Amino acid sequence: MNFLRGVMGGQSAGPQHTEAETIQKLCDRVASSTLLDDRRNAVRALKSLSKKYRLEVGIQAMEHLIHVLQTDRSDSEIIGYALDTLYNIISNDEEEEVDDVEGKRFEDLGSQFTEIFIKQQENVTLLLSLLEGKWRTSEFDFHVRWPGVKLLTSLLKQLGPQVQQIILVSPMGVSRLMDLLADSREVIRNDGVLLLQALTRSNGAIQKIVAFENAFERLLDIITEEGNSDGGIVVEDCLILLQNLLKNNNSNQNFFKEGSYIQRMKPWFEVGDENSGWSAQKVTNLHLMLQLVRVLVSPTNPPGATSSCQKAMFQCGLLQQLCTILMATGVPADILTETINTVSEVIRGCQVNQDYFASVNAPSNPPRPAIVVLLMSMVNERQPFVLRCAVLYCFQCFLYKNQKGQGEIVSTLLPSTIDAMGNSVSAGQLLCGGLFSTDSLSNWCAAVALAHALQENATQKEQLLRVQLATNIGNPPVSLLQQCTNILSQGDKINRRGSKIQTRVGLLMLLCTWLSNCPIAVTHFLHNSANVPFLTGQIAENLGEEEQLVQGLCALLLGISIYFNDNSLESYMKEKLKQLIEKRIGKENFIEKLGFISKHELYSRASQKPQPNFPSPEYMIFDHEFTKLVKELEGVITKAIYKSSEEDKKEEEVKKTLEQHDSIVTHYKNMIREQDLQLEELKQQVSTLKCQNEQLQTAVTQQVSQIQQHKDQYNLLKVQLGKENQHHGSQSDGAQMNGIQPEEIGRLREEIEELKSKQELLQSQLAEKDSLIENLVSELLQPSASAGDSEKVAELKEELATLKSQLNSQSVEITKLQTEKQELLQKTEAFAKSVPVQGEGETPAAANSTDVEGRLSALLQETKELKNEIKALSEERTAIKEQLDSSNSTIAILQNEKDKLELEITDSKKEQDDLLVLLADQDQKILSLKNKLKDLGHPVEEEDELESGDQEDEDDETEDGGKDQDQGYL
Amino acid sequence: MQLSGSARTAEEDFDYLFKIILIGDSNVGKTCVVQHFKSGVYTESRQNTIGVDFTVRSLEVDGKRVKMQVWDTAGQERFRTITQSYYRSAHAAIIAYDLTRRATFESVPHWIHEIEKYGAANLVIMLIGNKSDRWEERHVLFEEACTLAEKHGLLAVLETSAKESRNIDEVFVLMAKELIARNSLHLYGESALNSLPLDSSPVLVAQRPSEKTHCTC
Repeated sequence: MNFLRGVMGGQSAGPQHTEAETIQKLCDRVASSTLLDDRRNAVRALKSLSKKYRLEVGIQAMEHLIHVLQTDRSDSEIIGYALDTLYNIISNDEEEEVDDVEGKRFEDLGSQFTEIFIKQQENVTLLLSLLEGKWRTSEFDFHVRWPGVKLLTSLLKQLGPQVQQIILVSPMGVSRLMDLLADSREVIRNDGVLLLQALTRSNGAIQKIVAFENAFERLLDIITEEGNSDGGIVVEDCLILLQNLLKNNNSNQNFFKEGSYIQRMKPWFEVGDENSGWSAQKVTNLHLMLQLVRVLVSPTNPPGATSSCQKAMFQCGLLQQLCTILMATGVPADILTETINTVSEVIRGCQVNQDYFASVNAPSNPPRPAIVVLLMSMVNERQPFVLRCAVLYCFQCFLYKNQKGQGEIVSTLLPSTIDAMGNSVSAGQLLCGGLFSTDSLSNWCAAVALAHALQENATQKEQLLRVQLATNIGNPPVSLLQQCTNILSQGDKINRRGSKIQTRVGLLMLLCTWLSNCPIAVTHFLHNSANVPFLTGQIAENLGEEEQLVQGLCALLLGISIYFNDNSLESYMKEKLKQLIEKRIGKENFIEKLGFISKHELYSRASQKPQPNFPSPEYMIFDHEFTKLVKELEGVITKAIYKSSEEDKKEEEVKKTLEQHDSIVTHYKNMIREQDLQLEELKQQVSTLKCQNEQLQTAVTQQVSQIQQHKDQYNLLKVQLGKENQHHGSQSDGAQMNGIQPEEIGRLREEIEELKSKQELLQSQLAEKDSLIENLVSELLQPSASAGDSEKVAELKEELATLKSQLNSQSVEITKLQTEKQELLQKTEAFAKSVPVQGEGETPAAANSTDVEGRLSALLQETKELKNEIKALSEERTAIKEQLDSSNSTIAILQNEKDKLELEITDSKKEQDDLLVLLADQDQKILSLKNKLKDLGHPVEEEDELESGDQEDEDDETEDGGKDQDQGYL
Repeated sequence: MQLSGSARTAEEDFDYLFKIILIGDSNVGKTCVVQHFKSGVYTESRQNTIGVDFTVRSLEVDGKRVKMQVWDTAGQERFRTITQSYYRSAHAAIIAYDLTRRATFESVPHWIHEIEKYGAANLVIMLIGNKSDRWEERHVLFEEACTLAEKHGLLAVLETSAKESRNIDEVFVLMAKELIARNSLHLYGESALNSLPLDSSPVLVAQRPSEKTHCTC
């Protein structure tokens, strides 16, 4: 406490002495009085003195006040006074008006008292427990809570890290402070926000805990309740707290995104075109809101985190909302600037958002692309500097990793599209205008913007070489590259606003970007014989400090034209340029000049962040992307300059072989790619075939099941038909007929079967007879043949007879079948007719009954019943009709079958006819043979006749039996 | 200008959001469990967690989209005060132990005590025995864990392995189901009763513990 005495020493003179005594007395009373009222009055008195005699009260009363906090917790009033007094001692807030020296001393005072207070960690814990909402009445609570919050806030403001650490290690310390945000009294809630601001300042662990305790939800709710940007300072405080929680805290940013809180930011920016005035508070709030968006998509965040936030901002329409502000009128300049910066970072490196941005149009007539409108501001010297920087940043972000966008911008400069554009101004025209205007700032911005259209894009570097400019009327057009170098070399002659160095640096940066990694551009550049002498001249000259940067950039450009030289120009081959450097400048000198770039004081500043953020136009020298290029090239150029020609050649060879290898590799890669494609196609084919196969199989199974169903239905109908017909006696004929039909068919089939078998029998008999004939013939040849032949002849005869009779019976059967069929048809017709007749027959009967009965009710009843009956009958009728239909169809089927049978029968008839003819032939033969036999004197007749008689008897019994007999005899 | 405000992806919508803290001794594999839950892959990391790490994954449970915010805490003693701050607002806690190190199991009661002290009264607690792929080094029987869980009224015990993708998703799905059930109770009252497991006795889910122990014989 010695240091405090030292501070006090200067002040404790004369009149304050009595105050010190008073304070001493009051402290004694606080410490020793047994009456609460007494102690309370003493603390109140100390409070009233604490502002004026801060030092004295602080030194003497601090420990007594802490003691009161520990022991008098039951009395909210005394606790409140004690907290107020401590706040007055520790806080510097009230002393702001005091002059600088005094203020400084008071600041020390505050931090020194804070140090004393927090020396005992329990004091902070005690304070935390007082803040906890466990007081009975709200008034009670208020007296303690409010000063408690204020005291803790000022402790945190004085010695943030130490107090944070104490709160962090006290159990649930942070969590309990979060309850302040839920306090129903706005004063405490608002001061709670301030407390949390101080608590979360640059402490990641606390930030995480606060976020975990639903801070985002609560703060966003407060902001919404207060009316977003129209809300007062509370909104501002909440936004600052949100920024504390999110800035550089990846975990919390992720939490914020995952909690879908980005969506809740969108309404903040629904300010649109309304010109309802922009209060200072609203501007501040909106500014903080925009910054909060930028915190989430800052280029310094991990790439994955930024891109997911960017996506979410597009999906929820936040980007779209920001673009409306961008194109709205009446927006204050600094809000507009910050909006442009915000849009820049929301679209940076995110293709979807960049594409969207390219499609945004300003609501002018005719609508112009937003990019064009913005570029107009960039090259307009009347616009504020920060706005122009913001536009440049926006343009850079639009082109960052956006080959499509780069192509579109460059194409607006190419001859074909310029014609197509007509009168409207294109981005390319604006950039060229800026490049060659008399305003050095526009020159620089346009040059850098154009360089960004070429960044890492070899195609556009080559495309830009095609750009031709019409300079003065009558003069031939000059290429853009040529024009740039012209301005560079003649730059001193033109009268410009701003610094000349700015223009030259801008152009040199553009040229360096353009020529790097593009041998064709290098060749174009070297083709102008004035360029190399100009560069060597610039580098070799011993110029002042101001020109050193330009010298360095010229060295870089020359280095690039050596390093990326493909030796296509004989006069400026790598080797020759190197010799030139050695002769005119000297290697060491050249390297030293090259080093000027990265040694420049503004270089490291620009290399830190992509945003072109300069305090004033004079600082606008380096572009962020360009610093990357310098880093990349400085080393390789130095190496290239020092390398001997032999090494160069070797390297060249190595390069060539490498290229060959590369080409082989690419060849194989292409092959693999093709094969991949083929594979893919085949896979698809396989999958489609599989699909088809499955479909077909299912179709097959379906059809199978359908067939089964149909069969089942058919059987069922058959059975039903049989049953139905039995039920309806009136239609018994038809029903019987229907029932009989299948049986008949069966019978017919059987008959056919029989006929067939008979036919077979006949054929076999025929064969036998043939053999018999042969035998007979042989017998004829041999007169001594046996007498058995005559028997056979007789048999044959018999058989013939039976066959004939069979034939007859078959034809009879066929006719019978036909007549039966006819009958069936007639019967079904009759059946069909009988059904309606029956239905009609009931109605007159019903009418009769109505006549007979006199009573109305009975009549009604009856008619009802009758109606029902009619209904039932008609239903029956329809059912019968259906049955009829089905029976008709079955008849049709049967007819078909019959037709088939008939066909078969006719076939068999034919065959029988044939057989008959054959038999007739054979008969004749037999007859002739017989005659011959007779002539020969052989007795035949008798035995033959006997045998045939036997056979006839057997045939009368059964067919089968007959067969057996036949076989037996034969 | 046209706004496509309706283009909200399904990813951003959810029916429930739960905060779950994962606690337990140092090196029991909490981070690996969370990483596996998040990405489905096992990444061997020998780095200690600093403070608390936040992970989120959306699940679909019984047709409801559930966002599971998992707060993976540092097991080391020196972060204890920081991690304690996370108990109060958590909906559920998962206590992890390493079944090959008995000491980590023996400190489970301590963790339960911490939760009872700092956490909300209705906090759902679940116990997981990690590293079940190293069963041959087992020092904690599954039955013991069940007994402990029953004694303290925990929701469930599961033996997990982040390395062999065993039971990881099950842990979180089970937890999500329980939390949905409890939250639906508040919302719908009686109507939801029939479909919910209301008894407070813990559900003991192991991946066939008997089978596993038999395997070792």
